[in-house]
Amino acid sequence: MNQVLTFDELAALMQSCAGVAVDSRELENRPAATFEEFGLDSLGLLGVVAALENRHGAPIGPGAESCRTPHEFVALANNRLTTGV
Amino acid sequence: MSSQRVPSSRRVPGGHRRAVVTGIGVVAPNGIGADAFWKATREGVAVLDRVSREGCEDLPLRVAGEVRGFDAQEAVETRFTVQTDRFTHFAMAAADLALADARLDTTGGSPFDLGVVTAAGSGGGEFGQRELQQLWGKGPRFVGPYQSIAWFYAASTGQISIRGGFKGPCGVLADDEAGGLDAIAHARRGIRRGARAMVVGAAEAPLAPYSAVCQLGYQELSRSADPARAYLPFTADACGFAPAEGGGMLVLEEESAARERGIEPRALIAGHAATFTGTDGWQRSREGLAHAARAALQEADCVPEEIDAVFADALGVPEADRAEALALADVLGPRISLVPVTAPKTGIGRTYCGGPVLDVATAVLAMESGVVPPTPNVVDVSHDLDLVTRTARLAELRTVLVLSRGLMGCNAALVLRRGGGTDRP
Repeated sequence: MNQVLTFDELAALMQSCAGVAVDSRELENRPAATFEEFGLDSLGLLGVVAALENRHGAPIGPGAESCRTPHEFVALANNRLTTGV
Repeated sequence: MSSQRVPSSRRVPGGHRRAVVTGIGVVAPNGIGADAFWKATREGVAVLDRVSREGCEDLPLRVAGEVRGFDAQEAVETRFTVQTDRFTHFAMAAADLALADARLDTTGGSPFDLGVVTAAGSGGGEFGQRELQQLWGKGPRFVGPYQSIAWFYAASTGQISIRGGFKGPCGVLADDEAGGLDAIAHARRGIRRGARAMVVGAAEAPLAPYSAVCQLGYQELSRSADPARAYLPFTADACGFAPAEGGGMLVLEEESAARERGIEPRALIAGHAATFTGTDGWQRSREGLAHAARAALQEADCVPEEIDAVFADALGVPEADRAEALALADVLGPRISLVPVTAPKTGIGRTYCGGPVLDVATAVLAMESGVVPPTPNVVDVSHDLDLVTRTARLAELRTVLVLSRGLMGCNAALVLRRGGGTDRP
Protein backbone atom coordinates (compact mmCIF):
# COMPACT_ATOMS: atom_id res chain seq x y z
CA MET A 1 0.00 0.00 0.00
CA ASN A 2 1.25 3.44 -0.86
CA GLN A 3 2.03 5.27 2.39
CA VAL A 4 0.60 8.77 1.87
CA LEU A 5 0.71 9.83 5.50
CA THR A 6 3.61 8.81 7.73
CA PHE A 7 3.85 9.35 11.49
CA ASP A 8 6.64 11.83 10.82
CA GLU A 9 4.30 13.87 8.67
CA LEU A 10 1.49 13.64 11.20
CA ALA A 11 3.81 14.89 13.94
CA ALA A 12 4.85 17.80 11.71
CA LEU A 13 1.21 18.66 11.00
CA MET A 14 0.33 18.56 14.71
CA GLN A 15 3.16 21.02 15.26
CA SER A 16 2.29 23.41 12.45
CA CYS A 17 -1.50 23.32 12.81
CA ALA A 18 -1.83 23.30 16.59
CA GLY A 19 1.61 24.04 18.03
CA VAL A 20 1.67 20.62 19.68
CA ALA A 21 5.16 19.15 19.84
CA VAL A 22 5.24 15.35 19.68
CA ASP A 23 7.86 12.75 18.87
CA SER A 24 6.74 10.80 15.80
CA ARG A 25 8.17 7.59 17.33
CA GLU A 26 5.85 8.08 20.28
CA LEU A 27 2.92 8.34 17.90
CA GLU A 28 4.01 5.17 16.16
CA ASN A 29 4.94 3.09 19.19
CA ARG A 30 1.85 3.79 21.27
CA PRO A 31 -1.03 2.56 19.10
CA ALA A 32 -3.63 2.87 21.89
CA ALA A 33 -2.70 6.45 22.88
CA THR A 34 -5.24 9.09 21.91
CA PHE A 35 -4.75 12.50 20.32
CA GLU A 36 -5.97 13.95 23.59
CA GLU A 37 -3.14 12.25 25.43
CA PHE A 38 -0.70 13.83 23.00
CA GLY A 39 -2.23 17.26 23.69
CA LEU A 40 -4.20 17.67 20.45
CA ASP A 41 -7.77 18.88 20.91
CA SER A 42 -10.63 18.46 18.44
CA LEU A 43 -9.95 21.83 16.79
CA GLY A 44 -6.36 20.78 16.28
CA LEU A 45 -7.43 17.57 14.56
CA LEU A 46 -9.79 19.56 12.32
CA GLY A 47 -6.81 21.68 11.31
CA VAL A 48 -4.69 18.60 10.56
CA VAL A 49 -7.46 17.11 8.39
CA ALA A 50 -7.91 20.37 6.46
CA ALA A 51 -4.16 20.74 5.90
CA LEU A 52 -3.90 17.17 4.60
CA GLU A 53 -6.90 17.57 2.31
CA ASN A 54 -5.55 20.86 0.96
CA ARG A 55 -2.18 19.25 0.32
CA HIS A 56 -3.66 16.32 -1.59
CA GLY A 57 -6.53 18.20 -3.18
CA ALA A 58 -8.88 15.41 -2.12
CA PRO A 59 -11.17 14.81 0.83
CA ILE A 60 -10.21 12.24 3.45
CA GLY A 61 -13.90 11.81 3.92
CA PRO A 62 -16.26 11.27 6.80
CA GLY A 63 -14.96 10.13 10.14
CA ALA A 64 -11.48 11.66 9.86
CA GLU A 65 -12.22 14.39 12.37
CA SER A 66 -13.56 11.92 14.90
CA CYS A 67 -10.59 9.52 14.94
CA ARG A 68 -9.47 9.06 18.51
CA THR A 69 -5.94 7.83 17.99
CA PRO A 70 -3.09 8.72 15.61
CA HIS A 71 -2.98 5.06 14.48
CA GLU A 72 -6.66 5.09 13.57
CA PHE A 73 -6.19 8.39 11.73
CA VAL A 74 -3.10 7.33 9.77
CA ALA A 75 -4.81 4.09 8.67
CA LEU A 76 -7.95 5.92 7.58
CA ALA A 77 -6.06 8.67 5.75
CA ASN A 78 -3.84 6.23 3.87
CA ASN A 79 -6.79 4.09 2.93
CA ARG A 80 -8.88 7.00 1.65
CA LEU A 81 -6.12 8.98 -0.04
CA THR A 82 -4.73 5.94 -1.89
CA THR A 83 -7.89 4.11 -2.86
CA GLY A 84 -10.13 7.16 -3.11
CA VAL A 85 -12.92 5.19 -1.44
CA MET B 1 -31.70 61.64 67.60
CA SER B 2 -28.78 59.90 66.00
CA SER B 3 -28.57 57.33 63.30
CA GLN B 4 -25.86 54.75 62.98
CA ARG B 5 -24.17 55.14 59.61
CA VAL B 6 -24.10 51.82 57.85
CA PRO B 7 -21.19 51.38 55.45
CA SER B 8 -22.74 50.86 52.05
CA SER B 9 -20.61 47.75 51.42
CA ARG B 10 -22.60 46.03 54.16
CA ARG B 11 -25.80 46.61 52.26
CA VAL B 12 -24.64 44.70 49.20
CA PRO B 13 -25.28 40.94 49.19
CA GLY B 14 -21.98 39.38 50.20
CA GLY B 15 -20.64 42.89 50.86
CA HIS B 16 -18.97 41.71 54.05
CA ARG B 17 -16.64 39.69 51.81
CA ARG B 18 -14.12 42.34 50.82
CA ALA B 19 -12.03 42.07 47.66
CA VAL B 20 -8.41 43.09 48.03
CA VAL B 21 -5.54 43.24 45.56
CA THR B 22 -2.77 40.76 46.36
CA GLY B 23 -0.98 40.41 43.03
CA ILE B 24 -0.06 42.61 40.08
CA GLY B 25 1.03 41.38 36.64
CA VAL B 26 1.96 43.86 33.94
CA VAL B 27 2.95 43.58 30.29
CA ALA B 28 3.24 47.22 29.27
CA PRO B 29 5.19 49.25 26.72
CA ASN B 30 7.37 50.67 29.52
CA GLY B 31 8.01 47.42 31.33
CA ILE B 32 7.15 43.77 31.83
CA GLY B 33 6.53 42.82 35.43
CA ALA B 34 5.34 45.15 38.18
CA ASP B 35 8.86 46.17 39.25
CA ALA B 36 10.08 47.29 35.84
CA PHE B 37 6.72 48.93 35.10
CA TRP B 38 6.66 50.86 38.37
CA LYS B 39 10.26 52.04 38.05
CA ALA B 40 9.60 53.44 34.56
CA THR B 41 6.23 54.89 35.59
CA ARG B 42 7.56 56.55 38.73
CA GLU B 43 10.37 58.12 36.74
CA GLY B 44 8.01 59.31 34.04
CA VAL B 45 9.80 57.49 31.25
CA ALA B 46 8.03 58.12 27.93
CA VAL B 47 8.22 55.20 25.52
CA LEU B 48 5.73 56.33 22.87
CA ASP B 49 7.43 55.89 19.51
CA ARG B 50 6.84 55.53 15.80
CA VAL B 51 4.82 52.43 15.01
CA SER B 52 7.20 49.74 13.80
CA ARG B 53 5.04 46.61 13.63
CA GLU B 54 4.99 44.88 10.26
CA GLY B 55 2.37 46.21 7.87
CA CYS B 56 1.66 49.28 10.01
CA GLU B 57 4.58 51.46 8.91
CA ASP B 58 2.71 53.47 6.28
CA LEU B 59 -0.61 54.03 8.04
CA PRO B 60 -1.79 57.48 9.20
CA LEU B 61 -1.47 56.14 12.75
CA ARG B 62 2.16 56.99 13.37
CA VAL B 63 2.79 56.98 17.12
CA ALA B 64 1.86 54.27 19.62
CA GLY B 65 3.11 52.35 22.63
CA GLU B 66 4.54 49.00 21.50
CA VAL B 67 5.52 46.23 23.91
CA ARG B 68 8.91 45.59 22.33
CA GLY B 69 10.50 43.45 24.99
CA PHE B 70 7.85 40.73 24.84
CA ASP B 71 8.78 37.28 23.50
CA ALA B 72 5.62 35.19 23.17
CA GLN B 73 7.64 31.99 22.66
CA GLU B 74 9.25 32.58 26.01
CA ALA B 75 6.10 33.73 27.80
CA VAL B 76 3.67 30.97 26.84
CA GLU B 77 3.82 27.42 25.50
CA THR B 78 4.12 26.94 21.73
CA ARG B 79 0.57 25.69 21.35
CA PHE B 80 -0.70 29.04 22.59
CA THR B 81 1.45 31.00 20.15
CA VAL B 82 -0.15 28.92 17.35
CA GLN B 83 -3.70 28.75 18.72
CA THR B 84 -4.19 32.24 20.18
CA ASP B 85 -3.69 35.91 19.33
CA ARG B 86 -1.13 38.34 20.67
CA PHE B 87 -3.72 39.92 23.00
CA THR B 88 -4.12 36.53 24.69
CA HIS B 89 -0.35 36.00 24.90
CA PHE B 90 -0.15 39.32 26.77
CA ALA B 91 -3.03 38.40 29.07
CA MET B 92 -1.68 34.91 29.85
CA ALA B 93 1.78 36.30 30.59
CA ALA B 94 0.30 39.03 32.80
CA ALA B 95 -1.86 36.47 34.63
CA ASP B 96 1.22 34.33 35.33
CA LEU B 97 3.05 37.39 36.67
CA ALA B 98 0.09 38.38 38.87
CA LEU B 99 -0.30 34.89 40.34
CA ALA B 100 3.43 34.69 41.04
CA ASP B 101 3.34 38.18 42.58
CA ALA B 102 0.47 37.09 44.84
CA ARG B 103 2.33 33.86 45.72
CA LEU B 104 -1.05 32.19 45.32
CA ASP B 105 -1.07 28.40 45.28
CA THR B 106 -3.80 27.60 42.79
CA THR B 107 -3.40 23.83 43.03
CA GLY B 108 -4.65 23.47 46.59
CA GLY B 109 -8.30 23.97 47.46
CA SER B 110 -11.30 23.79 45.20
CA PRO B 111 -10.90 24.87 41.57
CA PHE B 112 -14.43 26.28 41.82
CA ASP B 113 -13.14 28.96 44.22
CA LEU B 114 -10.98 30.55 41.52
CA GLY B 115 -12.33 32.59 38.61
CA VAL B 116 -11.19 34.80 35.75
CA VAL B 117 -12.61 38.03 34.33
CA THR B 118 -11.17 40.01 31.45
CA ALA B 119 -12.35 42.97 29.43
CA ALA B 120 -11.65 43.27 25.73
CA GLY B 121 -12.24 46.06 23.26
CA SER B 122 -11.31 44.34 20.03
CA GLY B 123 -10.32 40.69 20.43
CA GLY B 124 -7.60 39.08 18.35
CA GLY B 125 -7.27 41.30 15.29
CA GLU B 126 -3.91 40.06 14.08
CA PHE B 127 -4.95 36.40 14.18
CA GLY B 128 -8.27 37.26 12.56
CA GLN B 129 -6.63 39.19 9.75
CA ARG B 130 -4.32 36.29 8.92
CA GLU B 131 -7.20 33.83 8.70
CA LEU B 132 -9.45 36.20 6.74
CA GLN B 133 -6.64 36.65 4.24
CA GLN B 134 -6.58 32.86 3.89
CA LEU B 135 -10.34 32.90 3.36
CA TRP B 136 -10.31 35.45 0.54
CA GLY B 137 -6.93 34.42 -0.87
CA LYS B 138 -7.33 30.64 -0.95
CA GLY B 139 -10.79 29.68 0.24
CA PRO B 140 -12.68 28.51 3.31
CA ARG B 141 -10.78 25.21 3.57
CA PHE B 142 -7.61 27.19 4.32
CA VAL B 143 -9.01 28.97 7.39
CA GLY B 144 -7.59 27.36 10.50
CA PRO B 145 -10.10 26.05 13.04
CA TYR B 146 -8.52 28.04 15.89
CA GLN B 147 -9.95 31.15 14.24
CA SER B 148 -13.19 30.08 15.91
CA ILE B 149 -11.78 30.86 19.34
CA ALA B 150 -8.65 32.99 18.92
CA TRP B 151 -10.16 36.29 17.82
CA PHE B 152 -13.10 36.19 20.22
CA TYR B 153 -13.27 38.79 22.96
CA ALA B 154 -13.57 35.85 25.34
CA ALA B 155 -10.33 34.14 24.27
CA SER B 156 -8.13 35.38 27.11
CA THR B 157 -10.53 34.49 29.90
CA GLY B 158 -11.00 31.05 28.33
CA GLN B 159 -7.33 30.28 27.91
CA ILE B 160 -6.31 31.57 31.36
CA SER B 161 -9.07 29.62 33.09
CA ILE B 162 -8.46 26.37 31.18
CA ARG B 163 -4.70 26.53 31.53
CA GLY B 164 -4.88 27.28 35.25
CA GLY B 165 -7.78 24.93 35.94
CA PHE B 166 -9.84 27.81 37.37
CA LYS B 167 -13.45 26.62 37.33
CA GLY B 168 -15.06 29.36 39.42
CA PRO B 169 -16.96 32.39 38.12
CA CYS B 170 -15.56 33.43 34.75
CA GLY B 171 -16.62 36.30 32.57
CA VAL B 172 -15.71 38.64 29.75
CA LEU B 173 -16.71 42.23 29.24
CA ALA B 174 -16.76 43.16 25.55
CA ASP B 175 -16.45 46.82 26.22
CA ASP B 176 -14.71 50.10 25.56
CA GLU B 177 -11.84 51.40 27.72
CA ALA B 178 -13.96 51.76 30.86
CA GLY B 179 -14.44 47.98 30.75
CA GLY B 180 -11.07 47.62 32.46
CA LEU B 181 -12.55 49.08 35.65
CA ASP B 182 -15.88 47.34 35.17
CA ALA B 183 -14.07 43.98 34.94
CA ILE B 184 -12.51 44.61 38.36
CA ALA B 185 -15.97 45.37 39.77
CA HIS B 186 -17.27 42.19 38.13
CA ALA B 187 -14.48 40.15 39.72
CA ARG B 188 -15.30 41.72 43.07
CA ARG B 189 -18.83 40.44 42.59
CA GLY B 190 -17.32 36.97 42.14
CA ILE B 191 -15.54 37.34 45.50
CA ARG B 192 -18.77 38.52 47.16
CA ARG B 193 -20.59 35.51 45.81
CA GLY B 194 -18.07 33.12 47.29
CA ALA B 195 -14.94 32.94 45.14
CA ARG B 196 -11.68 32.84 47.09
CA ALA B 197 -9.63 34.57 44.40
CA MET B 198 -10.15 36.09 40.98
CA VAL B 199 -7.66 36.76 38.20
CA VAL B 200 -8.87 39.96 36.56
CA GLY B 201 -7.72 42.53 34.05
CA ALA B 202 -7.32 43.23 30.38
CA ALA B 203 -4.71 43.18 27.66
CA GLU B 204 -5.09 44.31 24.08
CA ALA B 205 -3.07 44.01 20.86
CA PRO B 206 -4.39 46.74 18.56
CA LEU B 207 -1.14 47.32 16.68
CA ALA B 208 -1.60 45.13 13.62
CA PRO B 209 -2.68 46.32 10.15
CA TYR B 210 -6.36 45.37 10.27
CA SER B 211 -6.77 46.53 13.87
CA ALA B 212 -4.95 49.78 13.17
CA VAL B 213 -7.15 50.50 10.15
CA CYS B 214 -10.24 49.95 12.31
CA GLN B 215 -8.99 52.64 14.68
CA LEU B 216 -8.48 55.17 11.91
CA GLY B 217 -12.21 55.82 12.10
CA TYR B 218 -11.81 57.28 15.59
CA GLN B 219 -11.73 61.07 15.45
CA GLU B 220 -9.97 60.97 18.81
CA LEU B 221 -6.95 59.07 17.46
CA SER B 222 -3.83 61.20 17.28
CA ARG B 223 -2.34 61.50 13.79
CA SER B 224 0.81 63.20 15.07
CA ALA B 225 4.13 61.78 13.95
CA ASP B 226 6.02 63.25 16.89
CA PRO B 227 6.21 60.81 19.84
CA ALA B 228 6.73 63.67 22.31
CA ARG B 229 3.67 65.58 21.11
CA ALA B 230 1.21 62.92 19.95
CA TYR B 231 -0.63 62.57 23.27
CA LEU B 232 -0.79 65.73 25.39
CA PRO B 233 -4.01 65.75 27.42
CA PHE B 234 -4.95 68.81 29.46
CA THR B 235 -2.75 71.06 27.33
CA ALA B 236 -3.48 73.59 24.59
CA ASP B 237 -1.70 71.19 22.21
CA ALA B 238 -4.01 68.24 22.87
CA CYS B 239 -4.51 66.47 19.53
CA GLY B 240 -6.00 63.11 20.45
CA PHE B 241 -4.61 59.97 22.02
CA ALA B 242 -1.88 57.52 21.06
CA PRO B 243 -2.97 53.88 21.31
CA ALA B 244 -0.90 51.16 22.93
CA GLU B 245 -0.71 47.40 23.28
CA GLY B 246 -0.32 45.29 26.40
CA GLY B 247 -2.17 45.49 29.68
CA GLY B 248 -2.33 44.11 33.15
CA MET B 249 -3.87 41.40 35.29
CA LEU B 250 -4.50 41.51 39.02
CA VAL B 251 -5.18 38.88 41.64
CA LEU B 252 -8.13 39.87 43.79
CA GLU B 253 -8.70 37.86 46.94
CA GLU B 254 -11.27 37.70 49.63
CA GLU B 255 -9.56 39.62 52.43
CA SER B 256 -9.72 36.99 55.17
CA ALA B 257 -8.52 34.26 52.77
CA ALA B 258 -5.49 36.38 51.95
CA ARG B 259 -4.74 37.07 55.62
CA GLU B 260 -5.16 33.40 56.51
CA ARG B 261 -2.32 32.50 54.18
CA GLY B 262 -0.19 35.28 55.64
CA ILE B 263 -0.60 37.78 52.82
CA GLU B 264 -1.29 41.41 53.68
CA PRO B 265 -3.84 43.08 51.42
CA ARG B 266 -2.23 45.65 49.15
CA ALA B 267 -5.38 47.61 48.34
CA LEU B 268 -9.09 47.34 48.92
CA ILE B 269 -11.48 47.64 45.99
CA ALA B 270 -13.68 50.03 47.95
CA GLY B 271 -16.11 51.41 45.42
CA HIS B 272 -17.07 51.31 41.75
CA ALA B 273 -19.74 52.77 39.53
CA ALA B 274 -20.32 53.01 35.80
CA THR B 275 -22.43 55.29 33.64
CA PHE B 276 -23.14 55.67 29.94
CA THR B 277 -23.39 59.02 28.17
CA GLY B 278 -23.25 57.96 24.53
CA THR B 279 -21.20 59.25 21.67
CA ASP B 280 -22.88 62.57 20.91
CA GLY B 281 -20.02 64.71 22.13
CA TRP B 282 -17.53 64.55 24.96
CA GLN B 283 -19.12 67.36 27.00
CA ARG B 284 -21.70 64.85 28.19
CA SER B 285 -18.99 62.79 29.85
CA ARG B 286 -18.71 65.54 32.50
CA GLU B 287 -21.99 64.42 34.00
CA GLY B 288 -21.22 60.75 33.36
CA LEU B 289 -17.82 60.84 35.08
CA ALA B 290 -19.07 62.94 37.98
CA HIS B 291 -22.02 60.65 38.57
CA ALA B 292 -19.82 57.54 38.41
CA ALA B 293 -17.26 59.08 40.77
CA ARG B 294 -19.90 60.14 43.30
CA ALA B 295 -21.55 56.72 43.25
CA ALA B 296 -18.19 54.96 43.64
CA LEU B 297 -17.32 57.24 46.59
CA GLN B 298 -20.69 56.56 48.15
CA GLU B 299 -20.22 52.82 47.85
CA ALA B 300 -16.75 53.19 49.38
CA ASP B 301 -18.29 55.14 52.25
CA CYS B 302 -15.83 57.85 51.32
CA VAL B 303 -16.17 61.62 51.36
CA PRO B 304 -14.41 63.69 48.66
CA GLU B 305 -12.07 65.09 51.34
CA GLU B 306 -10.52 61.64 51.68
CA ILE B 307 -9.36 61.45 48.06
CA ASP B 308 -5.56 61.81 48.09
CA ALA B 309 -4.95 61.50 44.34
CA VAL B 310 -6.80 61.05 41.07
CA PHE B 311 -5.75 58.93 38.11
CA ALA B 312 -7.42 60.73 35.24
CA ASP B 313 -8.78 59.27 32.03
CA ALA B 314 -6.96 62.03 30.12
CA LEU B 315 -8.22 61.38 26.62
CA GLY B 316 -6.25 64.19 25.02
CA VAL B 317 -9.22 65.67 23.13
CA PRO B 318 -9.82 69.30 24.22
CA GLU B 319 -13.56 68.91 24.73
CA ALA B 320 -13.07 65.64 26.65
CA ASP B 321 -10.27 67.05 28.79
CA ARG B 322 -12.45 70.03 29.69
CA ALA B 323 -15.33 67.71 30.59
CA GLU B 324 -13.09 65.62 32.85
CA ALA B 325 -11.58 68.67 34.59
CA LEU B 326 -15.08 70.02 35.23
CA ALA B 327 -16.30 66.63 36.44
CA LEU B 328 -13.46 66.54 38.97
CA ALA B 329 -14.35 70.05 40.11
CA ASP B 330 -17.97 68.95 40.44
CA VAL B 331 -16.98 66.02 42.65
CA LEU B 332 -14.11 67.49 44.66
CA GLY B 333 -15.40 71.05 44.98
CA PRO B 334 -12.84 73.63 46.17
CA ARG B 335 -10.48 70.77 47.05
CA ILE B 336 -9.74 70.32 43.35
CA SER B 337 -6.76 72.66 43.73
CA LEU B 338 -5.30 70.49 46.51
CA VAL B 339 -5.64 67.00 45.03
CA PRO B 340 -2.84 65.78 42.79
CA VAL B 341 -4.10 64.47 39.47
CA THR B 342 -1.96 62.29 37.22
CA ALA B 343 -2.12 60.46 33.90
CA PRO B 344 0.93 58.20 33.60
CA LYS B 345 -0.57 56.74 30.42
CA THR B 346 0.76 59.71 28.43
CA GLY B 347 4.12 57.93 28.52
CA ILE B 348 2.88 54.63 27.10
CA GLY B 349 -0.40 55.37 25.30
CA ARG B 350 -3.89 54.03 25.85
CA THR B 351 -4.13 50.27 25.67
CA TYR B 352 -7.92 50.36 25.47
CA CYS B 353 -9.44 48.08 28.18
CA GLY B 354 -5.94 47.47 29.51
CA GLY B 355 -5.39 51.18 30.16
CA PRO B 356 -7.44 51.61 33.32
CA VAL B 357 -6.16 48.26 34.64
CA LEU B 358 -2.63 49.63 34.33
CA ASP B 359 -3.86 52.75 36.15
CA VAL B 360 -5.19 50.59 38.98
CA ALA B 361 -1.89 48.70 39.13
CA THR B 362 -0.06 52.04 39.24
CA ALA B 363 -2.41 53.36 41.91
CA VAL B 364 -1.71 50.36 44.17
CA LEU B 365 2.05 50.73 43.68
CA ALA B 366 1.78 54.49 44.22
CA MET B 367 -0.08 54.04 47.53
CA GLU B 368 2.56 51.54 48.67
CA SER B 369 5.40 53.93 47.81
CA GLY B 370 3.76 57.20 48.83
CA VAL B 371 4.53 58.61 45.41
CA VAL B 372 2.30 60.09 42.73
CA PRO B 373 3.98 59.34 39.38
CA PRO B 374 4.09 62.11 36.78
CA THR B 375 2.32 62.65 33.46
CA PRO B 376 5.12 62.20 30.88
CA ASN B 377 5.53 64.72 28.04
CA VAL B 378 2.89 67.05 29.52
CA VAL B 379 4.28 70.40 30.67
CA ASP B 380 1.90 73.36 30.35
CA VAL B 381 -1.46 72.42 31.81
CA SER B 382 -4.31 74.49 30.44
CA HIS B 383 -7.00 73.34 32.88
CA ASP B 384 -7.68 74.10 36.49
CA LEU B 385 -6.06 70.91 37.80
CA ASP B 386 -3.03 70.15 39.93
CA LEU B 387 -1.64 67.78 37.31
CA VAL B 388 1.59 66.11 38.40
CA THR B 389 4.10 66.85 35.65
CA ARG B 390 7.84 66.36 35.07
CA THR B 391 8.71 64.44 38.24
CA ALA B 392 6.93 62.25 40.77
CA ARG B 393 5.52 63.85 43.89
CA LEU B 394 5.75 62.47 47.41
CA ALA B 395 2.36 62.19 49.06
CA GLU B 396 0.63 60.12 51.71
CA LEU B 397 -1.88 58.12 49.67
CA ARG B 398 -4.60 56.30 51.57
CA THR B 399 -7.41 56.61 49.06
CA VAL B 400 -7.26 57.15 45.31
CA LEU B 401 -9.85 57.63 42.61
CA VAL B 402 -9.32 56.09 39.15
CA LEU B 403 -11.41 57.39 36.24
CA SER B 404 -11.91 55.89 32.81
CA ARG B 405 -13.91 56.71 29.71
CA GLY B 406 -14.40 54.75 26.54
CA LEU B 407 -14.81 55.83 22.95
CA MET B 408 -18.24 54.19 22.84
CA GLY B 409 -19.64 56.30 25.68
CA CYS B 410 -18.96 54.35 28.88
CA ASN B 411 -17.64 56.07 32.01
CA ALA B 412 -16.37 54.34 35.12
CA ALA B 413 -14.85 55.22 38.47
CA LEU B 414 -13.04 53.05 40.98
CA VAL B 415 -12.07 53.93 44.55
CA LEU B 416 -9.08 52.13 46.04
CA ARG B 417 -7.99 52.17 49.69
CA ARG B 418 -4.45 51.36 50.76
CA GLY B 419 -3.86 47.99 52.40
CA GLY B 420 -7.05 46.56 53.84
CA GLY B 421 -8.63 50.01 53.87
CA THR B 422 -8.54 50.38 57.63
CA ASP B 423 -5.92 53.14 58.04
CA ARG B 424 -8.36 55.93 57.36
CA PRO B 425 -7.72 59.40 58.76
